[in-house]
Formats: sequence, structure tokens, C-alpha cells
Amino acid sequence: MRFTIYQESRQGGRENNEDRLAHCYSRDALLMVVADGMGGHYYGEIAAQIAVQTLTDAFQREARPSLMDPFLFLQKNIGNAHHAILDYSAAHKLEDSPRTTIVACVVQDNVAYWAHAGDSRLYLIRKGRIIGQSRDHSQVQLLLDEGLISPAQAETHPERNKVYSCLGGNHPPEVEFSRKTPLESGDLIVLCTDGIWGVSPGNTLVEALRNPNLMQAVPQFMQQAERWGGAHGDNLSMIVVRWEENYTELTQSAVSTQTMGLNEITTKLDEFGRNPNYKSELSDDEIERAIEEIRAAIDKYSFKK
Amino acid sequence: MGQQANTALPSGFQLEEYTIDRQLSLGGFSIVYLARDAEGKAVAIKEYLPNSLALRGNGEIKPVITPEHLGAFRYGMKCFFEEGRALAKLAHPNVVRVTNFFRANDTVYMVMEYEQGRTLQEFIHRHLGHISERFIRGVFTRLLNGLRVVHTNKLLHLDLKPSNIYLRTDNTPVLIDFGAARQTLSSDSPILKPMYTPGFASPEHYGERKNLGPWSDIYSIGASMYACLAGATPQPADERLQKDQLIPAMVRWEGQLSDQLLETIDWCLNLNHLYRPQSAFALQKALVENGEPLPEKPVNESWLGQLVDKLKKKS
Repeated sequence: MRFTIYQESRQGGRENNEDRLAHCYSRDALLMVVADGMGGHYYGEIAAQIAVQTLTDAFQREARPSLMDPFLFLQKNIGNAHHAILDYSAAHKLEDSPRTTIVACVVQDNVAYWAHAGDSRLYLIRKGRIIGQSRDHSQVQLLLDEGLISPAQAETHPERNKVYSCLGGNHPPEVEFSRKTPLESGDLIVLCTDGIWGVSPGNTLVEALRNPNLMQAVPQFMQQAERWGGAHGDNLSMIVVRWEENYTELTQSAVSTQTMGLNEITTKLDEFGRNPNYKSELSDDEIERAIEEIRAAIDKYSFKK
Repeated sequence: MGQQANTALPSGFQLEEYTIDRQLSLGGFSIVYLARDAEGKAVAIKEYLPNSLALRGNGEIKPVITPEHLGAFRYGMKCFFEEGRALAKLAHPNVVRVTNFFRANDTVYMVMEYEQGRTLQEFIHRHLGHISERFIRGVFTRLLNGLRVVHTNKLLHLDLKPSNIYLRTDNTPVLIDFGAARQTLSSDSPILKPMYTPGFASPEHYGERKNLGPWSDIYSIGASMYACLAGATPQPADERLQKDQLIPAMVRWEGQLSDQLLETIDWCLNLNHLYRPQSAFALQKALVENGEPLPEKPVNESWLGQLVDKLKKKS
């Protein structure tokens, strides 16, 4: 597999970040997950963390190095995540169980498989055009589908944040699966929360991703989205992957999994909690002293010429 | 949080008294450059630059370290110092020499001697399936001289593998990359996980690591010798613990090399660390134990001797 990937989550104007995201890959399979813990529910971030962790843990167990059945994997583990959240709230006697949306995507053998519940979205972009998109599980989307409101009205509809499917709720989630979608070199897959798509007008996301340097393009775009979100804007999170099976287009930042062991998995998931603090802070003085010490050792042990 | 490679310093860049020539290698933790010192002598310079914590964009010199990563960045720097300290104390022809250590561009640099040659890894690839017993005994016996000094200094290398064994043009081996060497440094940072290479790491490398010892480096030496013969990485130790599918050298190459060498390799690759040679010296003794004394230099110096060697290798 060959791809370039970028993931980032920002707090926006909120007091804490209830979005969680992760990607992990083995030699032959890639998993990406974005979850948006739901505001208004207690511990939204916990629900999101459980969801993301359930999927990545399962991936680490099952991708050896490929998944037997990616759709089955998504179905089973999204279900497990839902139950894990319910178990958590039962164990902690929470009045109202925490909830989260989820969108997860597996790429294996150049085929993408995705599933979602709620309004976190996946876009598939080919040659600068959106050719695939997940359909939000929201009232507004239903109204839109039935032609009762226009896309412009949907953008400002007061209930546009209400979703009817999520993990951790009283009803089992309604999980919607994509088709098996073969990828072409250069295809972009974007997973994002409503903090991103809810504020970006029209075609701005697609335009921003025309920049071939994702490591630049995505943070720039998120910066912009954060500004659109304003002082009290929602959390913003996104993962963008560019699929690059074409070996002639080597870019510096691409990840190649050819040299990975069969049972090796690389995971990029931030630790639970905010900003882990490192006990072992090294002061400037200590650095200087360490260098002095090493230089002294070099002098002492080297044969004077 | 991108998975991104750092940009190397540009060719011709003046770093203190050194002039950067080109990038030699790029790891997740550092970049190694070929450079020239003030007298024009070639040196290798290792730049501490963990790409998960510090990023240098195109055309920039100083890496960007975000405040949230500064703690972890400095923590990793401690490990880098550990490597410098370890190497500075070791003056041995089979261990890479550190000649300088300095701070610049918001990070730190270690200057090492550079010599013409290639890694054992490259050698294996070039001579796939044609590595002689004589070569293995010669290279590893001398390599163990270096490892003995490392162990005498209460250090473990912990990442021995063919790509960390450098061969000078006369095939004398040099131990390089002590990035994983630790004395007492415990690793509790979530970002900077202990480093090891599956296939060459011993069973003790995995899990709690409390049983690590000289025998763990010995396992890696055994795995490297095995790789010389197989031309590929042996089955990783953690998998072997579940289901051992590593064909013993004694079975795989029976009749092609001396039983004594094959037994020695299998001895090093015992999963139970107590059953392996317990010291570099014990292994070294086994490697020279063949009746035939080993010359200091591996090849005959005269052109006639070299020709004879070549013919021998071909047959």
C-alpha cells in the first residue's frame, strides 16, 4: 500500500474537544475512524474515545495483515463500540449514556469500505470532484431528500445538528454501509466532523485539497474552518488520505507499508486525556551540562593525535 | 499529526565547522548526513529530529516544535544524549567513534567518524545465498570484540541487526547506531516507544524487558548470522513464542556449512535466554573454535591470494 495521510483535531471555540480520531495500518490494510462525541450529553468525549479505541483495538487484533471481511469488521465492531459505551454508562451509573457519531473507513486491496452512523462525513474525491459522500443521519437530510427544503435552507436549518442515529443511544444505531469502492491513484478520502463540513461554504474543501501537499493544505484549511466557526465554533477534526499506488509519483511524506512485517501495525491515536505532561522536562542548563559531559568523555577517551 | 518525513538540511549547508554534503539515511528519530570537517575529512553527522515531534519544512533550517510536543521532544533528547554518552566512552576499532557533540538549530548533533564501506545488510543483498562460513566467522568474531567492550561498559546495544553492522572496505565490521542503547533509562513516554527490530530482537525485547542482558544482544547476533545464510529476516521472536516456525540452521543448511557453526547459530537463537551463550566472549570462543586459527585480516593481501579467494567463493 502507498498513501499519504494527515489527521488533526482542533478544539475550536469549545471548552473541550469531544472529537476523537485515529488511523492505523498494517502492511495490507488501512483503517481510519472519526467520532464526534455529542454535546448536550454527558461525557461525549468518552463515548467518542471508546468508539475509536474499540475499532483500533480490533484492527490491531484482526488485520494480520489483512482483514477477512472489511464490512463484517466494521459492522461487528461498530456494534461492539455501541455496547461498550452502554456498558461504560452502566458501570459508572450515568444518568444518560454518552453518545457519539462515527464514520470509519477501511482500505484494503485498493478497495474502500466505509460505514457511518450520525453526521460525521466521508467524502471520496477523484480528480477534483466529489464522487462519493456519506448521507447524514439527520432530520435535515431527510427533509432535503424529500425535497421539502432546499440545500440553502438546510445550511441554516435550526435543527441541522440533530441526528437520529448514533452510538450509545437508547436505540441500536442505524449503521449505513458504502459499496465496495475501487480506488484510483490520486483519490482522496476525507473523514470529518460537522465542525468542518458545517462551516465550509460550497466547494471550499475540494478546492483546498487541490494543493498536492496535504501536510500543508489540510492544516491551512482547518485554520480557515476554525475562523469560519467563530469564537464559539464547534470542535473540528479531519483525516485526509491520498491513495498512491502509483509508484512514479513518489512524494517525500508518503507512507509505504511494503517493508512492514506481516503482523506489524502502526497506530496514530492520541492518548486519552488532554495533553499528557512529561515528567522528564529537560532544562536548557541540563542540556548544556549533558553536552559538556559528552564532550569531556570524548576528549578523555580519544587518542590524542 | 501527519505521518511525515522531515526535510534534510541542504547540501552545502554550513553547520558549525562542518559542511553538509548529503543525507545518508533518514530514520523516525534522526537524520544522518555525510559532511566534511574543516580539514575536508569525511564525517557522519547524526541530527536528533524525531518526526513525530519536530518538523522541518522545505527550505527551513530550524524545525518547528509545537509547545505541546516540547516535553516529549526534550525527553527524546535525553535518549539521544544517552547514545552520545555511551559511544563517547567506547574507543574501539569495531565500534563507531564519536568525535564531537553540539547544539544548533534548536536541536542536537552527534559527529561520528565516517568510513568507506557498506552495511552488512547491503552485503547480504549483494551476495544473496553466497556468504561463506569463513566470512561469517571472520566478521562476527571481530564484531564481538566491539560488543565485548560495549558490554564491559555496562551497556547493551539492543538493536543489533545487519543494517547496524557496517563493513569497512576491508570487511572489518563496525557497530553503528546505538540509538536503542540504554543503561538505566526507563521508557514511560507514550510517544517514544522502545526501539527494536522484529526478527532481530530477542524475546526479552518484548513485554516487560526485565530479562534483557548481554544474551539479548547475542540473540540478535545469532539472528544476523542466520540472515546472512537465509538472505532474509528470521521469524520474529514474539511469533516464535506462539508458534516456532524458524527452521534450525542445523536442519536448513546441513552439509553446506560446518555443523559446529550451524550449532552455534542455533545456540544463539534459543528462545530461553538461559540456554544461549551468556556472554559475547563465550560466543566468540565458539566462533573461533574450529581448529583453524583466524587471521587478523579476512582476505589474503596479495593479488594472488585474492584471486585464490575469488575462485574459492565461486566454486
